[in-house]
Amino acid sequence: MDPSLYNAWRFASLTLLPEWALVGLAGLLALALWWSFRGLKSEPKRARRLVLFSLRTLVALGIFALLLEPGLELRAETRVRARVALLFDTSKSMRLPATSGSPTSRIAELQRWLKSQLPAIQELATRFQVDVYGFDKELAPQDPQRLATLPDASALAQGPTTDIVSALQQAAQGGTGGRPLAGMLVVSDGTDHGDLEQGLSSSARKDLEKLPAPVFALPIGGEVQKDLAIDKLRVDDFAFVRSQVSVDVTLKARAMPSLDVPVVLRREGQVVAQKTVHLDGDGTAEVKLQFVPDRTGKFAFTVSVPVYEGEAVAENNQKSFALKIIRDRVRALLVVGRPSWDVRFLRQLLKKDPNVDLISFFILRTPGDDAHSTQDELSLIPFPTQEIFQEQLRTFDLVIFQNFNHRPYHMQMYLDGIASYVREGGAFAMIGGDQSFAAGDFADTPIESILPVQLPMHGVPPIDESPVSMKLTEAGRRHPITELLPGTAANEALWARLPKLPGLNVLGIPRSGARVLLSSNDDKPVLVVGEAGLGRSLALATDSSWMWSFLAAGQELGPRAYESFWHAAIRWLVRDPALTPMRLLAERQTFEPGENPVLEAQVRGNDYTPAAGAQLVVQLIPSEPGAQRQVMQGPTTGQDGSARIQLPPLAPGAYKVTATARKADGSTIAEAEEAFVVAPSSLELSDAAPRPDLLKQVAKATGGRVVSASDSIANLPWRDPERVEVGQRTTKPLWDTMSVLAVLCILVAIEWSLRRRWGYA
Amino acid sequence: MTKPKATLARRTFLGTGALSLLALAARKALAFGEAARLEFAILRHSGRFDVRPDALPRLAWEVSKRTSIETTPVVRAYSAVDPDLFKHPLLVLASDGEIPTPGDAEIAALRRYLSYGGFLLLDDSSATKGGAFERSVKAFLAAIIPGAQLTPVARTHVIYKSFYLLDGPSGRTNTMPDLLGIELGGRLAVAYSGNDLLGALARDSLGTWEFEVTPGGESQRERAIRLGVNLVMYTMCLDYKEDQVHIPFIMKRRRI
Repeated sequence: MDPSLYNAWRFASLTLLPEWALVGLAGLLALALWWSFRGLKSEPKRARRLVLFSLRTLVALGIFALLLEPGLELRAETRVRARVALLFDTSKSMRLPATSGSPTSRIAELQRWLKSQLPAIQELATRFQVDVYGFDKELAPQDPQRLATLPDASALAQGPTTDIVSALQQAAQGGTGGRPLAGMLVVSDGTDHGDLEQGLSSSARKDLEKLPAPVFALPIGGEVQKDLAIDKLRVDDFAFVRSQVSVDVTLKARAMPSLDVPVVLRREGQVVAQKTVHLDGDGTAEVKLQFVPDRTGKFAFTVSVPVYEGEAVAENNQKSFALKIIRDRVRALLVVGRPSWDVRFLRQLLKKDPNVDLISFFILRTPGDDAHSTQDELSLIPFPTQEIFQEQLRTFDLVIFQNFNHRPYHMQMYLDGIASYVREGGAFAMIGGDQSFAAGDFADTPIESILPVQLPMHGVPPIDESPVSMKLTEAGRRHPITELLPGTAANEALWARLPKLPGLNVLGIPRSGARVLLSSNDDKPVLVVGEAGLGRSLALATDSSWMWSFLAAGQELGPRAYESFWHAAIRWLVRDPALTPMRLLAERQTFEPGENPVLEAQVRGNDYTPAAGAQLVVQLIPSEPGAQRQVMQGPTTGQDGSARIQLPPLAPGAYKVTATARKADGSTIAEAEEAFVVAPSSLELSDAAPRPDLLKQVAKATGGRVVSASDSIANLPWRDPERVEVGQRTTKPLWDTMSVLAVLCILVAIEWSLRRRWGYA
Repeated sequence: MTKPKATLARRTFLGTGALSLLALAARKALAFGEAARLEFAILRHSGRFDVRPDALPRLAWEVSKRTSIETTPVVRAYSAVDPDLFKHPLLVLASDGEIPTPGDAEIAALRRYLSYGGFLLLDDSSATKGGAFERSVKAFLAAIIPGAQLTPVARTHVIYKSFYLLDGPSGRTNTMPDLLGIELGGRLAVAYSGNDLLGALARDSLGTWEFEVTPGGESQRERAIRLGVNLVMYTMCLDYKEDQVHIPFIMKRRRI
């Protein structure tokens, strides 16, 4: 054993006896002492009692010491340096100005400070192991020298979000060689969007208190900066057309003056709601913006507040969202020239349909009729032409004229409006009868221009009284309106079995793009559909479709054909998504800035078969007022009529995309729209005001404190809990010598001789 | 018992003349689609099924004259199993005596007729409460619509406001205070008049009212005509007059 190998020692027990045995033996010795003490009670002289008891106690202790086998432990000890962790915020918020209006970014401020602290870090490294990290939501080792000298400071700050507590926990568990932690320094703007987003919660405080060392914090961005932000938007995933939609907006203000803030909601650049809310400097305010969407589709909406002078972040003064407006029920206006069986069965069908909200007006009495009564004896009401064709027109999804002649009601002034309503996305159906089409004086009116078919020339009889057998046309075989049964053959057979029609309204030539779905056996059009601008129209040249219900029921066919036909016709007219030839769907509602937004297109031709090889042309429309539209060539559809559209990375904001599918000859097959939003998923940039107060709370919870930029980090009150590590050790028994035994024997001998002398046995 | 009216009033003569003209005019004005016009159908059976042959043409004329509904004076009689019955969603069964119990095929056809949208107007020409017609009709309906029973039609029912605002039923007599009816699928599919409604409308070959109307006289006849118009209007418009837009007007006029 070379004593030079050891630099420390300590006493140690070398006994192999188990603890319980030692305790037992100690008990026995104590019992023996007690008996001995009792035996000495008869001794009148106190000094003798004391001497004898002391000697016996010493002997007992000596025996116990022998049992413990005392020894010397020699140790080769080394001291381990503690660790200091320096955490630098590298999240995106550090790219923002350090102070209101400052040209210096927060990360540049950090870099400047780090540069000034490099000597202090070197000095610190002589006493501690210094671990340097960059952090956002993750922790990554960094080289302080490189950080301090990087030319483009903002290149450092790329982290998508900040989580200070998580970063501290990771740093505390990190390090090498199990070094103790002397402390941590966080250099950050405090814009936490992790556990501390809502402030220092009790659970976050507990997590911080569990950290093994104090945290010192250096706030970057100094004082609380002036900022107004749209903190939160709450809106349903979808809304119903013509039903009120509420958008709950939470505004957050920091260091703002007391002011009234106008909050504006825009749909693709157009203001749809606006409210003013009062804000008192700091805190939050909630405002509910409400509007009633007037059409279906998916739209991009933006809520914005003004950007006030000196605000830290301008980007958080607006927020976008995409909202799908769907139909609760189809609101249909049925205008009827006179009651008939056709009217009765259509009304019954529409009234029974829970998806249809039917508003109907029947002309029950014409000026030539004599009711033999006063007006008050009748249940009749005036025909409110102005109300329904002017004021309420755009609240309807579908307008149906059933055997209706407009002339007696002086409606010429409204016909233009009805045509415009259809061209702008409405739907119109004209059902035949002796007052319909040309017989209803619609030739050369705006209504004729929206019909899918021209009306016959003047002089041509408007009615053909010959009974008609119908047949499906080529287009009708594939069109959803005339698909009463799955399977072409079964469908055609069913149409052939339906009752003959007693006559037809004579129609002219179908318009370009219109489709004749049903015709008479001598090829006169019976059912024609087409597009009119953005809207759709249908012409049914008979007032006897009711026979497909009641008369068919008498022939044991049942009313199913009639119901299927009209349900499909209405769905097609109002562009039910299930019957739309082209669909465009964004992969997600919201894309990250820098990400390529992806949309899926599904194109079917007018015959409703997949449109393979269709060339897509994509128009990208930012919702920002005045922003430039981009038109780009999209992909070509595959055999299944589908295509994947990948857009270039886009700046934050709301976007509308219109995709047009075209044939090789350039003619349009179909068009579809979609809306989406580009916005960061985290609030890192939108709610990025510095939070020095939060950093102060973090430091305090761990026993640390906030430091100033001028403090040298070498002089911070780091803990210095060195760890002692024992590399080698050996033991040397102390009891195993003659002298120990001799002392014990001498003590026993003295006690024995004194007892003899004093007359004890 | 009904009592023929002997005199020929000037007004009746003119009315009959107008009815004849209607038959001519209708062909011209209603060239498009026979099926679009109201044509009454009566149910043929082995009993007396056409005891008021002139009443329905008269009602067709009144409907045409008073409303925008186009009618034809033709009345067709069909057996229950005739497929052409389904060209006429309004079917009238009137008699002054017992009607025979229908066979299985007739029951099936009439059940189908009523289920898919047909309307059956039953009129007791004898106007005898608990009489042979009423008793046999109940058995007839029980066979067609098992479990269904004729119940009074509420005075608030749309049938009393489908064109005219009426307080209750009327006919040649006032034997029964209410129309009776059976609802199927939310609509009135069967209506029963115990007051000889068609009797109030019937004219003889000279154009005079065939029967005296008691106890209300001509005003009661007018109410009977109005009820007939309302019944026709109801079959073609269903509950149109219960749409929200009509309610304030009707409530206001009811209060007057």
